Amino acid sequence: MTKILSLNGVNIYQKNFQQILVRGDGKDQFNQTMNREISVIPPSKNLEIKVNDQFLIAKNSFDQWTLIYFFEQDYKEILKFISKLNSDDRILASDYSYGQVYFEISGKNKDEFLNKLTQFDLRKKRFSDLSMAQTLIARIDCYIYSFNDKYIVTCNRSYEDYFKERLIDLANLH
Amino acid sequence: MILIDCPYCGEREQSEFTNGGEAHVIRPKNPEALSDKEWGQYVFYRSNPKGIFYERWNHSHGCRKWFNAVRDTSTDTILKIYKLTDNRPDISEFKSSLKSPSGEPAVGSGNFAVKK
Amino acid sequence: MPALRNKNCNYVSNKEINITFDGKSYSAYDGDTIASALLRNNIRLIGRSFKYHRPRGIYTCGIEEPNALVQILNEHNEPNTRATIKKVYEGININSQNRWPSLSFDVGSINNFLSPIFSAGFYYKTFMGPKGFWKKIYEPLIRRTAGLGKPPKNFRSKSIHQNHNVDILIVGGGLSGLIAARKLINTDNEVLIVEQDSFLGGILKNSNKVKKIDGKSVFDWVKETEKLILESKNIKILKNTLVTTYNFTNHLIALEDKFAGKDIDTNKAELILHKIRTTQTILANGHIERFISFRNNDLPGVMLASSFEKYIERYGVVPDEKPVIFTNNSSTISLVKSLINLNCKPGAYIDSRKKKDIEDETKDYLSKNNIPFYPESEVEGCEGNKKVEKVYIRSSNKEISSINASMLCSSGGFNPDIHLFTQSKGLVKWDDKIISFKPDTAFQNTITLGSVSGNYEFKNLCNEINKKLSFLKVNDLNLDIELNIRNDFSISELWETKINKTSKWAKSFIDLHNDVTTKDLKQAINEGYDRIEHLKRYTTNSMGTDQGKISSINSLGIVSKILKKKISEVGTTTYRPPYAPLSFAAIAGRSTYEYYDPERKTPIHNWHTKNNAVFEDVGQWKRPWYYKKYETETMHQAVQRESKQTRDTAGILDGSTLGKIEIKGNDALEFMNLMYTNAFTKMKPMTSRYALMLGEDGMIMDDGIICKINDKHFIATTTSGGAPKVFSHMEEFLQTEWPHFQVYLNSITEQFTTFNISGPKTREIMSKVFNKIDFSNQSFPFMTFKIFDYKNTQVRIMRASFTGELGYEIYISPKHALELWELIFKHGKDFNLVSYGTETMHLLRAEKGYVVIGQETDGTVTPIDINFNWMIGKKKKDFIGKRSLTRSDTARKDRKQLVGIVPLDKSQFIEEGQHVVECENLPSKIKTPVEYLGHVSSSYHSPNLNHCISMAMIKNGNKLMGKKLFVSTSKGTKNIPVEVVNPVFIDPENKRLVS
Repeated sequence: MTKILSLNGVNIYQKNFQQILVRGDGKDQFNQTMNREISVIPPSKNLEIKVNDQFLIAKNSFDQWTLIYFFEQDYKEILKFISKLNSDDRILASDYSYGQVYFEISGKNKDEFLNKLTQFDLRKKRFSDLSMAQTLIARIDCYIYSFNDKYIVTCNRSYEDYFKERLIDLANLH
Repeated sequence: MILIDCPYCGEREQSEFTNGGEAHVIRPKNPEALSDKEWGQYVFYRSNPKGIFYERWNHSHGCRKWFNAVRDTSTDTILKIYKLTDNRPDISEFKSSLKSPSGEPAVGSGNFAVKK
Repeated sequence: MPALRNKNCNYVSNKEINITFDGKSYSAYDGDTIASALLRNNIRLIGRSFKYHRPRGIYTCGIEEPNALVQILNEHNEPNTRATIKKVYEGININSQNRWPSLSFDVGSINNFLSPIFSAGFYYKTFMGPKGFWKKIYEPLIRRTAGLGKPPKNFRSKSIHQNHNVDILIVGGGLSGLIAARKLINTDNEVLIVEQDSFLGGILKNSNKVKKIDGKSVFDWVKETEKLILESKNIKILKNTLVTTYNFTNHLIALEDKFAGKDIDTNKAELILHKIRTTQTILANGHIERFISFRNNDLPGVMLASSFEKYIERYGVVPDEKPVIFTNNSSTISLVKSLINLNCKPGAYIDSRKKKDIEDETKDYLSKNNIPFYPESEVEGCEGNKKVEKVYIRSSNKEISSINASMLCSSGGFNPDIHLFTQSKGLVKWDDKIISFKPDTAFQNTITLGSVSGNYEFKNLCNEINKKLSFLKVNDLNLDIELNIRNDFSISELWETKINKTSKWAKSFIDLHNDVTTKDLKQAINEGYDRIEHLKRYTTNSMGTDQGKISSINSLGIVSKILKKKISEVGTTTYRPPYAPLSFAAIAGRSTYEYYDPERKTPIHNWHTKNNAVFEDVGQWKRPWYYKKYETETMHQAVQRESKQTRDTAGILDGSTLGKIEIKGNDALEFMNLMYTNAFTKMKPMTSRYALMLGEDGMIMDDGIICKINDKHFIATTTSGGAPKVFSHMEEFLQTEWPHFQVYLNSITEQFTTFNISGPKTREIMSKVFNKIDFSNQSFPFMTFKIFDYKNTQVRIMRASFTGELGYEIYISPKHALELWELIFKHGKDFNLVSYGTETMHLLRAEKGYVVIGQETDGTVTPIDINFNWMIGKKKKDFIGKRSLTRSDTARKDRKQLVGIVPLDKSQFIEEGQHVVECENLPSKIKTPVEYLGHVSSSYHSPNLNHCISMAMIKNGNKLMGKKLFVSTSKGTKNIPVEVVNPVFIDPENKRLVS
């Protein structure tokens, strides 16, 4: 965990999470396969997320889920899990652990701060707790997850420096 | 930037989407059986009406899903959004909802901000 | 002696500050605008006009100002700043504009006496010829004498954007906006109020028209309202913020001046561009007073009446103690009252309305205070040396008399400020009662309240607002509004008064900003420009940076009279955004310089930097272009060194930017057969294949290597730039044409870091790095791949090559990538391994005759054109683009085809992009076009062959092998003789590749 910035009502940390991207049909067999591995039935409602202490699992669209581990697992175990999922021809699981970067954004002014980088409507009535979205932040494709009064934002690793610089730049201009 | 109501993600700004041109253009089942002219019609020709237009959109910076929309090209008003699996809505559904901002003629543009 | 101060004004502080104007120091108050500060110091001459260089002063007290534009020297030399809205601060350094050598003596004012040639359309008429004169004479001349301020210098933007999503946006924090806001306090609606001034209150602070609200002074009522709003949970206020743009789907743009009245801190965001998305827009942006055209209505000292009143009430400065007042409506009496309250007395009150139409209260008040009163009269004109000295009055008996005065306040009525409403595509309608356009039918969720809606009656305001906001189900609000003027508004039509005295100098202006006279309008109509949109462009009327805010309706009035039409028939010109000038710096926001485009870096980026890589932009990616071995090494030297070393021993390239797509599902094989030209059915598992992707038009779209894990699982690579396009192209066909296919795609571009290692020593290096893997030709042949556990991760290695040498591609997780890269170098040192960049990559592939998509191809090239017939699965029934390959045009035999070319004189160098022709010399003067065969698509000096090698796309190229042709140069008319050859320059038998 690395602190990126902290100013009045906005705190941003970079996190060492791991991630798996799963594609599937969301039907019984899929749910059971997932449940067997993580003991949680993947959310069935679009853009919904389920969270526990260990991970979150989110439905990104009608046939895609992301599973994010909050604590670094043995990477071999993750790869093993992926290959188990992939043994079903009707599922495609890809390792997204280290190709992505993860930021945790909290504080009471987080919406106003993020709205300097995105037009996305962060108001609770439009983007409720325990939901996710894929949108543009700082002109790059991001996933944003909302839970426990904070956001997790992930983007491609190649943008890491650019994204962090934009955040710090805005904080400096504040 | 208009708002587009993605059938999977809800209302988002246009910058998240890519327009995919005319909808309901189906790829021919047996291309080899077509003449150059028929094939060219499929590859190159699209309609470009003023008014009601059936078109495709891709939520390219969101869920990456494709869907169809009916848009009034003269006002950028989206009249209906429907999934690829839904039936093409009949044009008669929209005739009455067409609203011209400036009482424009059917062809060409005009700036008539004054109510006659 | 400074101008009289209104001590009752609450909006300007007592703190004295120093400002500089045209090099001289003046004293002002904190809270002043430049204009109020200058008026305080009795300065009335502010600048020179755009075309005629006539002396100009301060005409208004707000955004509508056409004249008083100045340059702020200490703010990046910011030009064309409106003196009437820009707030001053200690040390601000202001210059007047468009004058030389000085403001009071300006050489350019000769234009005024040459004015007969500067009439309507003069740019179109005058500068038609002779040829060449425009560039050499006219343009420099015009640039020096016409125009506005000088451009800013060394400016780097620190402006930012702020997005808002709200339920209700209220534009304007004046009386109507505040009433609406009070009704919305503590409701479920999220509300944003945008106010252009630094104080709320609008007309309440700008005039003395309203005496009391609910028994409280207007100042106290506004203060109370603001407090209630700030305490509420649902309403926010943005001050010093101007709404400039009203887009579709209720998206509005507003510009906030973060340093209004303060010295700019250049390390902070100076301007904030607010992008507001709202469900409901309430326009309460008021009205703008219009002027009247009379002789010399541009002289410094002529000012709009309500602006004069605003200087007294809002800025506490009385610009003149005895101004002459000229009006055609009932509102102006409040100015008289403001002056009388301060023991000042207008020099005369001239009202063009019929005596019986003028309110008794007005007549009584004027006579009680002994103010000379001229009913049914008008100002014919005014005269003076760079300022108003004499005012000529045409009385009801048509006789003209003159009085001495130093300021003249005029009011031609009020226009509802419909700019934003029409931007929103609302329709407006002419209202004979107020003699102006007012909003009629909204196109979006837009409501207009107060004077912008054409309601000038204060006592009717609450009723209007209650009615229009009733759909929000909020409580009614009824206020007791006490007035200093009559509640009902009365006006008589008057656009222009007849000029009696004519002289070369006398002019009656319709557009002060662009120096358009009423005569120009008439002349343009005589010349046939009788449509308002044509007339506007021909005369440049209302095309200035003020967009004719005080005058455009007046021009419609004058034109309608000439054309004998109703104003509603003449129509308006189109109101386009922005409402007021908007700095490009604000529009750009932070998307400039270092943030112009997002940057992507590979996991090896820092290593490249440490090893002196020079980077090249490939899309958003930063890729090493070449590495400098020593400080003075040139790019050519570096590329020659890297290329030679790779073919002699081994080289490695960071190929992480390659697009990678994972494809899986029961129908994956069929899907791949349709997406690519190649046939994948007979391909063995764990092998790979170079593949081409076409558009439906048969043109090459992308290439890459396809790894087949099994019939249901593939991994495809794409070009670095083509990755997003290919991925969405695949998704498109899966979702739209073949939804019955059970196939999923994931982009794994960033999930695998990729190294391309090649050269004769590669096998030895790889065997040392991965000592458990057998890299022999038998167990690891060309175009196969292996996946195996490595340390804590997995590695995929593919035998492939883009250089023509023995080569491997290594795929590893980004977390473990740098460590592996360094390990490869540790072992590679003994084998003289070199890191190379994209330029060497291009050179090496050109030596081998490999094409680059986007360099040899440009969207008009088929596989057949580049001799890739072998890549087409001819037995396949169908694939994307197949049918197009046999269209008459694509099957043509004389299309441009890929060939190699080499100079006959091996010391010569062929430039990329040059034309291939048949003639030895180009004619020095081209009379007939030279026949062009094609162009050079790639060209390099090959260190391995020691001469120039090029690839070219030329007509019928395949039939021209061995032929002598010529290539043009950038240096002269003598072409380079070349020979057409096979484009594979090195190892045409592929011995090295499969060794």
